Amino acid sequence: MSKKPEVVVLACQQALPETGPLVEALEGAGLRARAVPEPCSSKIEAFHLLRLLAVEADCVWVLACPEDACLLREGSRRLGKRLEHAREYLREIGLEPERLNLTRLSPGEPVDLTRLATDMADTARTLGLNPGCRGRGPKKEQPQ
Amino acid sequence: MIVGTRKPLAEIQGMVRGARRLLLAGCDTCVAECVAGGRKEVGELAAALMMAFRLSGQEVEIRETSVDRQCIHEFLLEVVEAAAGAEAVISLACGAGVQALAARLPETPVFPALNTQFIGETAERGLWLENCRGCGDCMLGLTGGICPISRCAKSLLNGPCGGAAGGLCEINKAKKFDPEVPCAWLQIYDRLSALGQLERLLELAPPKDWSQGEAGGPRRVLRPDQRP
Ligand code: SF4
Ligand code: SF4
Repeated sequence: MSKKPEVVVLACQQALPETGPLVEALEGAGLRARAVPEPCSSKIEAFHLLRLLAVEADCVWVLACPEDACLLREGSRRLGKRLEHAREYLREIGLEPERLNLTRLSPGEPVDLTRLATDMADTARTLGLNPGCRGRGPKKEQPQ
Repeated sequence: MIVGTRKPLAEIQGMVRGARRLLLAGCDTCVAECVAGGRKEVGELAAALMMAFRLSGQEVEIRETSVDRQCIHEFLLEVVEAAAGAEAVISLACGAGVQALAARLPETPVFPALNTQFIGETAERGLWLENCRGCGDCMLGLTGGICPISRCAKSLLNGPCGGAAGGLCEINKAKKFDPEVPCAWLQIYDRLSALGQLERLLELAPPKDWSQGEAGGPRRVLRPDQRP
């Protein structure tokens, strides 16, 4: 099992049309990284976020447009609420809510990818491997 | 529709303790509308339980399914198939759906993931209100279509009481509600006034026969014309 934390980035294509450089920057920072382009952040549901944490990711990062710049008017704002709802599950389970994150980027404006990747990498490294994720399993299976 | 809310994860985990293969079954009608038990909520709960079990040192296989109505037997065939091999089923339907499913799965324990709350409506996004108690003797015809049994804090048949102020029920003084609870009887008055039917309020509603409702023991509807 790799000991490198994995970050999955769900990127609204309006907010960040090209995700390759961000993934490279994250890998350069010593993480595993995967980016999923989304047609709009409004399409991201709480169960997507939780499922990613359950089967693959140590940290999930959503990149969305500012609330007032969403293609679907309320989409980005409501996504923020769904993310908070998903974080409530993490609190209930006893996992760090910061394993789910959201950064809002203005479409068409230059993005400081180095800074973004540094923020993500710092968070992922601080949190470490997600003990709720498949394959991380720090604890032994208990006998019935 | 039936409105429900999810039970705490720890309670759900406790109910299925020891089971290694679970099926989560959603219902895509009422409880999907109130964002508690539809297929999306099945996905949330499945992922959350998977993580919660791992944190307690157990690896549990969780499958997911969802049907349009768990309370109707014909809709349950898919769930019964999906339940093959499951050591326990967690249903995200209302209590009626859980029981219908359990009746179809005599050898598999079926547990509720929701607390069934009430018969209600979506009043606003994210706000569901109780508006019927199934009293068995509907009096909406007298009250302009607004139910005093479920919407008046005292279930008064001839209201209002003397405690309403500024259009609000006096229950707001006893407990914090956001948004505040309107006085159902003032709503009834406004509605009948708008309909030009205020004279209806002069008819005194007689004492109610509560035996038609839940006070009368298990209820049933039997239709000879529909029987086999
Ligand atoms: S089981 Fe029936 S009554 Fe219950 S939530 Fe589903 S459709 Fe509604
Ligand atoms: S009067 Fe009875 S049946 Fe009619 S809405 Fe109220 S509780 Fe339901």
